[in-house]
Formats: sequence, C-alpha cells, structure tokens
Amino acid sequence: MRKLFFIFTVLLTISSFAQDNKAVKSGEKFVYAASYNMSGLMTQLAQVTMQTETVKTSKTSLLHLSCEATTFSKWDAFFKIRDIYESYVNPVTLKPSLYKRDIFEGKYTKKEKYIFKSDGQNIESTVSKKNGPETKKAFQISGGTQDVVSILYKLRTIDFSTFKPGQIKTFVVVFDEKEMTVSAKYMGKETVAAGNLGKKSCYKISIGAKTKVLKGTDKNIIWLTADNTKVPALIRFSIPVGTGQMTLTNATGI
Amino acid sequence: MRKVLIVLAFLFAIIGIAFAILPMGTLGFLPVGLSLLFGALAFVKSDANDKTVPKWLLIVAAVTLVVIIGRSFVPDEVAQDAQFEQKKIESKQEDLKDLEGIE
Repeated sequence: MRKLFFIFTVLLTISSFAQDNKAVKSGEKFVYAASYNMSGLMTQLAQVTMQTETVKTSKTSLLHLSCEATTFSKWDAFFKIRDIYESYVNPVTLKPSLYKRDIFEGKYTKKEKYIFKSDGQNIESTVSKKNGPETKKAFQISGGTQDVVSILYKLRTIDFSTFKPGQIKTFVVVFDEKEMTVSAKYMGKETVAAGNLGKKSCYKISIGAKTKVLKGTDKNIIWLTADNTKVPALIRFSIPVGTGQMTLTNATGI
Repeated sequence: MRKVLIVLAFLFAIIGIAFAILPMGTLGFLPVGLSLLFGALAFVKSDANDKTVPKWLLIVAAVTLVVIIGRSFVPDEVAQDAQFEQKKIESKQEDLKDLEGIE
C-alpha cells in the first residue's frame, strides 16, 4: 500500500510553471476505491480520501490538504492500513509550509515531518520508524520543489486545455528526503466514469519518474476532469509487483 | 484421467474455500469455477456406481460459489476507528504548534 499510495501521489505530479490556484477549494472531499489486479481481476483493498480545509494560525490562513488510505474493514483482520499524508500550503500558490506522513501498515510504522523553511530552499526533516530512533536532518531543495501531497493538488492548477498531445513537462518532488524528477505527458482527452459526477470528459496524463517504483511506458496514467475543478477521476498504475487503479466514488465540495 | 480430474477439482475447491474465507472478492470465482469444471468432468467420466467423490466435490464447490456470490453483495466499508480519529485530532494540534513556529 505504501507503494500504491506513492504511485498515487506521483501520478498527480505538477509543473513548476503551474498557475496560481483557482481549482482547489477548502471543503473538498474526494473518496476513491483502491483496487489491485490479482490474476486479472481487480480486488478492492482500501479507501483513499482526499480532503481540504482552511486552517488559521495567529498570523495567516493556510490550506490543509490531507490524504488518507484506509483498508476496507474486511481486510483489517489480515492487513490493517491507516496511512495519512498531509500538507499545509499557501491557499493561492499551494507552496508547502509543513508536510507530514504517518504510516501504519500491519506491523510497519513510520512517521515523517518536513518543515519547509521560509526561504524555500531548505527543509528540516524528522523521521521515525517503529522501534527505531528519531532522526533529524536538514537538507537543501530547489525553489519549485513540492511535497507529494501539495503537488497532487497543484496539478489541478495547470491549464491542460493549452497542451498538445505528447507535450511533456518535468517537475521536482521531494519524497523520502530526496528530490526526484518527474515528467507528465499530456495524452489527449477521454471520457471516464467519475463516481457521483457521472461520466466526464477528462485530460489523460501519463506520469514518468526516475524511480524503480514506476514500471512501463505510459502505464501510469491519471485522468483529470476537463473542467475548472480538474478532479482526479481515475488513476491507473503499474509497479514491479503488479497493476492497480483508484476510482473516484464520491466527490463533494467542488 | 478420472483421478487427475478429481485431484484438480479437489485442489481448486480448497483454493476456492480459502478465497471465500479471505476477503478476495470476485477472485474466488476463478478456483471455484475450475473446481466445478473438473468436478463435472470427473462426474461424467465416472462409472454410475462410482460417482460419490465427484458428486461431493461438486456440492462443496457449489456451496463455496454461493458463499462468494453472497459476499460479493456486501458493500466495501471502512470501519469506525476511534483511535485513528483521536490520533488525527492530536496530530492537528501538534501541526498548529509547528506552523506557529514556522511563520
């Protein structure tokens, strides 16, 4: 599931040329059913929920982005997953201030926190694993680097209507305390089922990354509704251990 | 040939039962379907006075199939997890402290 969620986030990667946010609102809630391909049949394993809400501090207002992965109750007795990925971002630029990752997968746990320094060039990270010591580290990043949650939302700010099929952009994402280059290729439009939104015309985006986690060419694809909201309607992924997909079941607050 | 078919039907019936117990969803149709197929072939190949084993294999596979079909109608739901919800609340409070320190 960790890989699965990673794919999910990488598939939603964004350009450093993205526009200011006009698509992402506070109060959004998208619910997905995550399925894994077992011998040719898709088996539903977990629910992924993406939510946004406004958070006020004494000095400013931020947008809290959260992604939760929770196994369906029928799987809990066999392999319980309770993962949370969070990011606090500027509501206009979607620039992250704080990123958190809390993994609970069976007997495996991991916590990760990145504090993005105000200069935009440095991160202070705190990482802890089950039965392991807490480690702190400071490292440099490039200016346009996003975390895997904020990038997911920033993708929706791109105006794909101006893209031509085959057009590629490259991006930088920080994950596991490392920066990673990711490419997104616009492949045209397709109509897909989008849960309670019905069938929607979508932008089809192929994601590639310089990582062993993604497998194949044009096999990691995300469909974003071709409207102002750009809701991720369907995500298909191919990883070394198999293939799967995430289908939107319910979208509210858009 | 009959023995081979019976062994295959038995093996797939066992796998089918395991899939029916585990939350494998519609994936269980595959072994159960094969068990029914091999069980039916074994039944046909058996002499009239020697059909007991394939008959029971067919019954077991059919019951397993019914269980899998029944379970496929149960909607996938996420359990209410009070501990998880409490953890999220505490995490958010901690986040606000961190954010106040950043700005």
